[in-house]
Amino acid sequence: MGEYIIKRTLQMTVVFFLFLVFSYLLFNAIPGNAFSNLLLNPDLPPDAYNRVLELYGLDKPLFERLQLYIVNFFKGDFGYSYKSFPKTPIELISERLPRTLMLFAIVNIVSFYTGFFIGKILAWRRGSQSETWITLTSVFSYTVFYPWFALMMLWVFGYKLGWLPIGKFLYPEKWYDAPFDSDIVFSSMIKFTIVVSLIQFAAYLATRGIESLSSRRNLRFASLIAIFIGSYFYWNNGAALIKKPYAADIAYHMILPVMVVTIVAFAGTALLTRTTMMEVLKEDYILTARAKGISQKRIRDRHAARTALLPVVTSFIFTIVTIIDGSVLTEQIFSWPGMGQLLLQSVLEEDIPVAMACFSFVGVFALVAHLLADISYSYLDPRIRIKSQG
Amino acid sequence: MSKEVLSVKNLNMHYETLSGDVHAVKDVSFSVKEGESFGLVGESGCGKTSVAMSLLQLQADNAKISSGSIQLDGVELVGMNESELRKVRWDGISIVFQGAMNAWNPVVKVGEQIREAIREHYPEKSKAENTEKIESLFKMVGLDAAVIDRFPHELSGGMKQRAIIALALSCDPKVVIADEPTTALDVVIQDQILNEIKKVQQLLGLSLIYISHDIAVIAEMTDQMAVMYAGSIVEIGPTEKVFSTPKHAYTRLLLESTPSVVGEKKKLRSLDGEPPSLINEIIGCSFSPRCPDPSSDCENPIKEMGLVEIEPGHFADNCCVDCG
Repeated sequence: MGEYIIKRTLQMTVVFFLFLVFSYLLFNAIPGNAFSNLLLNPDLPPDAYNRVLELYGLDKPLFERLQLYIVNFFKGDFGYSYKSFPKTPIELISERLPRTLMLFAIVNIVSFYTGFFIGKILAWRRGSQSETWITLTSVFSYTVFYPWFALMMLWVFGYKLGWLPIGKFLYPEKWYDAPFDSDIVFSSMIKFTIVVSLIQFAAYLATRGIESLSSRRNLRFASLIAIFIGSYFYWNNGAALIKKPYAADIAYHMILPVMVVTIVAFAGTALLTRTTMMEVLKEDYILTARAKGISQKRIRDRHAARTALLPVVTSFIFTIVTIIDGSVLTEQIFSWPGMGQLLLQSVLEEDIPVAMACFSFVGVFALVAHLLADISYSYLDPRIRIKSQG
Repeated sequence: MSKEVLSVKNLNMHYETLSGDVHAVKDVSFSVKEGESFGLVGESGCGKTSVAMSLLQLQADNAKISSGSIQLDGVELVGMNESELRKVRWDGISIVFQGAMNAWNPVVKVGEQIREAIREHYPEKSKAENTEKIESLFKMVGLDAAVIDRFPHELSGGMKQRAIIALALSCDPKVVIADEPTTALDVVIQDQILNEIKKVQQLLGLSLIYISHDIAVIAEMTDQMAVMYAGSIVEIGPTEKVFSTPKHAYTRLLLESTPSVVGEKKKLRSLDGEPPSLINEIIGCSFSPRCPDPSSDCENPIKEMGLVEIEPGHFADNCCVDCG
């Protein structure tokens, strides 16, 4: 396994290098540059434009710039943003990234679980009337034109009913006398989420070996309750108590985008789960499981859904890969100041260092996600074993 | 005389399909005594597996048991609800399926799949007890204890089938159904598996229902046997008697279609035509269209059909006793 990971990492480095070169060349193929608009300003001396280009090194030939960029990139120097000069791309990204990750991590987890759950119920209740209706609804939300749907939801919940905020990720007026930045609140929310999921996962692992099914279930339920009580105390004590109203404000703003993206995203998982699970249900080992006298629910979850998981996880990982580029549309519609907006803005302004940094991030994210997918396959399906040789 | 463990009386089962009801099991009655092995033989599609599935009531959703009774140790199984049936399955009657290749869930370890069955029926047992039980079962069927932690794809076909037998025995069932357990295996492994089943059956004093289309295997494996044709039993009796003095024309032809290793060389006989469609109700003798020598009486619809006792314990369908 270790050898495999090293080999893959080397391959990924080559792919990433090519990715960098092509992205850089493509950005430079856009006519004009970030400072072209200076030429339109009659108040500036003609020389000013050339001086600015010189300052940013844009007067050098393309190949030389590319070489310099790549060398600096691997040294960890991504340059400076053209448009927000003293800031580096890393500073810009580290400000925006948590906002996007928080939103889409929740969307992905919620939509994966609902999609998988609904999918397996659909396959299980094949032929019933509820199956027909839920499948039709899923097909609708899978095929609906997403921006239109998002705007309709905004109109209904934000404008007509007025239950949820129309845009932005916080109410600025609430934050005037906030003792800290929104980023701090964001990062502590993310840390909290990660810790909770790790505890939940650890509890799952710890109870795996217990032979009695009922005590296993009870312990897992107890751990869930413990997590709830623990989070209640966490948010009502010490440093977290001050952050609580601000965190709540952000969470309130997240409801609508999470809901809308989930409605659109769950359907793909649900329909795929339904199809693969219907195939699995025809298998002989489902009959064996029934003959063993195992409960229907356990056959559904343990035997059918577990085996149907592989293609679903594959498609889920591909979805994760598209988080950043997929966020462009969502963040634009909900005025969510995250990576998607940064990416779009930097491309439109030809802020090449920022755009390149954003795209490199997307590239690394995609490559690592694929590697993780390949590794996770061997755990999901023991028939796939990664050979350490060859 | 040992007592009856399983008794099936006048069992009727049909599949509801778009083109009409398929009567797969018609008026089937037989019983299995303690420690006895009972063979069910017939060609493909004659309803052997449908009988097996009816015993555990694992038949497809469109299958309906219209009448009859199945009693396990005096407890009626027909009409039981799902949760009562779940208790009977594996604990009362377990089954060795045909095609062991696909009978294992590919993503769960073999030991875990056996453990799951024991856990369902004996939740009070500890993990160590279960492991011990599985190891002893594996030893009995000639498998290494290390197989517990293997995934099904890591085993050969023969090993999978041995493990399936261990799985079938895991809850100490009263009756084990072996539904063509050797179909997918080569002859050498087939023989090993058959010996294994026989050994285990004698060792544990199991009641065994052995289903096969291979009449030679039935001869080797069983004490009592029944021949099925078009959904009904046409001849039933002690295996020895059925083989030495077959009464029904179909049984005789079935025996003549199998080569014998000893004795004079005989030309094998084959049968023209195909089994009747089970969708239409068959009036009169179901075998008469294919019977090589039907008597004039055979197609008489008024003639009473049914099994008649020819000698003690040996029954045959009354129509075909003399023809063929």
